[in-house]
Amino acid sequence: MSAPSLIAVESVTMRFGGLTAVKDVSVDVKQGTITAVIGPNGAGKTTLFNAITGVYEPTEGRVLIAGRDPQRELSSRVVAGVVSTAIATAIFLAIIVRVETLWQAAIIDNYVFQRPFPWMKAIAGFFTSFFAGGFVGTWLPLFLGAVVGGAGRLVIWSRTRRTPDVIASAGVARTFQNIRLFPELSLVENVVVGMDRRLHTGVMGAVLALPAALRERAQARNDAMELLSFVGLADRAETAAANLPYGHQRRLEIARALASKPSVILLDEPAAGMNPTETVDLMRLIRAIRDAGTTVVLIEHHMRVVMGISDRIHVLQYGEKIAAGTPEEIRNDPRCIEAYLGKEELG
Amino acid sequence: MAERRFSLFTRGQCVVLALLAATPILDLVFPSIQLSGPMRTVVVYAILALGLNIVVGWTGLLNLGIAAFMAIGAYAFGILTAEVYPFQVGFWWALVLAGAIGAFAGWLLGAPTLRLRGDYLAIVTLGFGEIVQDGLKNLQTITKGTEGINPLPQPTIPFGGFATTVLEKVGVVSASLPEAIAGSTAPTLAGPRWYEISSETPARWFYLYLIVLALVIFLCRNLEFSRLGRQWFAVREDELAARCMAIEPDKAKLKAFAAGAALAAVAGALFASHLASTGEPANYDFQVSILALCIVIVGGIGSITGVVLGAIVMVGLSNVVLPALTQAMQRAGIGSTENVLSSPDNYKYLIFGLALVLMMRFRPDGIVHTRKAVKK
Repeated sequence: MSAPSLIAVESVTMRFGGLTAVKDVSVDVKQGTITAVIGPNGAGKTTLFNAITGVYEPTEGRVLIAGRDPQRELSSRVVAGVVSTAIATAIFLAIIVRVETLWQAAIIDNYVFQRPFPWMKAIAGFFTSFFAGGFVGTWLPLFLGAVVGGAGRLVIWSRTRRTPDVIASAGVARTFQNIRLFPELSLVENVVVGMDRRLHTGVMGAVLALPAALRERAQARNDAMELLSFVGLADRAETAAANLPYGHQRRLEIARALASKPSVILLDEPAAGMNPTETVDLMRLIRAIRDAGTTVVLIEHHMRVVMGISDRIHVLQYGEKIAAGTPEEIRNDPRCIEAYLGKEELG
Repeated sequence: MAERRFSLFTRGQCVVLALLAATPILDLVFPSIQLSGPMRTVVVYAILALGLNIVVGWTGLLNLGIAAFMAIGAYAFGILTAEVYPFQVGFWWALVLAGAIGAFAGWLLGAPTLRLRGDYLAIVTLGFGEIVQDGLKNLQTITKGTEGINPLPQPTIPFGGFATTVLEKVGVVSASLPEAIAGSTAPTLAGPRWYEISSETPARWFYLYLIVLALVIFLCRNLEFSRLGRQWFAVREDELAARCMAIEPDKAKLKAFAAGAALAAVAGALFASHLASTGEPANYDFQVSILALCIVIVGGIGSITGVVLGAIVMVGLSNVVLPALTQAMQRAGIGSTENVLSSPDNYKYLIFGLALVLMMRFRPDGIVHTRKAVKK
């Protein structure tokens, strides 16, 4: 073990109904390397990416990022959230089912026009009336509210344990095979959105445009401009992403992914649709990303790109990993040649 | 969006605000029509539509029940200020509290439902609108049913009374006005004080509402260029991509929903104060939600300037121009009350429908469009 593993895919299987898209695949990505995942169309490469980034939950196996499984833990905050939601819904339900009686007891019975209002008496009246509802009026709504509220919050937590935002927060950024930019936002805005996990502006700062929020915004835009020049798009920073040519959109997606300062970036077919010049530029860019300290994992069909920049290559076929090694080893592996070119017919 | 120096309003926003600010001048020129009163509803609907714009225009969630939050704001304002209840807080506090209650209601509705997609959320909000309306109708003890809570107070200029008293005590202003010393704020025969607002001072009342609108525009504009605004746009454009950028769409949507509901509730409170009554619950029915949606679409979905302009055009047409035209025609003896077709007021929905169809055909992004993408 030279460098520690940044991503450890441990025997991941992805099943969709009867279809097994990825079968018992293990991939190890070392820090500071460029790792390629190759294979014919439909081999399960993108599915593997989706399983890593939390778009899918692996049917079996697990994915470790920097040695740990990034998930929303059942922390004390979650427990406190569940309990407080349960209490709040219980009280809310118990009030709402008898709201008129309670209003009568607290306000109407105590208020005499233009006379000072006896607040303490009103509060006392409210509580007396609140607990006077008997089983059906008070305790059943309280119980039901607590159960529904608590269970609802718990279900939401359990369903969002491993969503893409959790994985992204753990420092894994990605691009998409069929580009998914924010088409109506400008290039800078796209990149600044990518930066979101590093920003701190809260609701109040946003609404009131507090100085700290404005400073952060200016800083974010500066950083975004730097990233745009890194990928060579600085001159078009204010145009809408949808107006960019295809190859530039791919570069913008990479800039957006880099904006979060990820420890690893997953590129899904970054060279697709690029001409040879653009491809050479892209190879230079990917190397620059690696040299800047970000680990790169990529899916690619252009063998020139894959063989030219990868430190390690994993080959998938029909959802199974058939080989792994350096570019030299893969080039000479008969199973890989067969997967890509077909078996040599003799005679 | 070019990097802007910090400025209060963009040029377009200044233009629409100036446009609105000019209404009382028309009153001076044409004393017979008196626009300032009905134009208050334009401001109210502009605020309502700005709230809806946050949800529909910026976050891309279809909310068909915005009128429910307007109703909640109106009734919260009514209960907090009316003399039949013990709270009787001042106008401005009630306005702020109504906004807060509206935001809470939006959060309450949003928390369990915002995970629904597109059409399903629209149906939930539609249902919520009906539930709130029915609830208000049937909670007789609290809301007085179809009577509505009334009378409700008019706004006062904040600290106006206090400032006058202080100035008079110090001796800067002549202390000859007796009601100030007596501590009474009721209008006397001498006419309303400068900080008091009533139906006798329509221009003052209108300007006060306009200031609230300006404040709302300012807050919306802050949001638009903030981190939160960007999160909303990202969620609207591509939810999965936003998620992969470590944004939690559920939280962003919930905030949008609460912000939209808060603005709608403020609009409701202003509306109730404008009527001096919450009116009946049917004042906040589905039609209102649809009108707000039309304002957003016609004005320019996602654009603050566009939405305010949309409110001027749509509500100005239905609440100001058409009634004025009807009145004028009746005075001239052209229209008769027996023939429904001869009254321009009755063409309101026809004109709305036509406007929508024409907009969709010729300018689908609205009067003011924000889209930077050139669609060919």
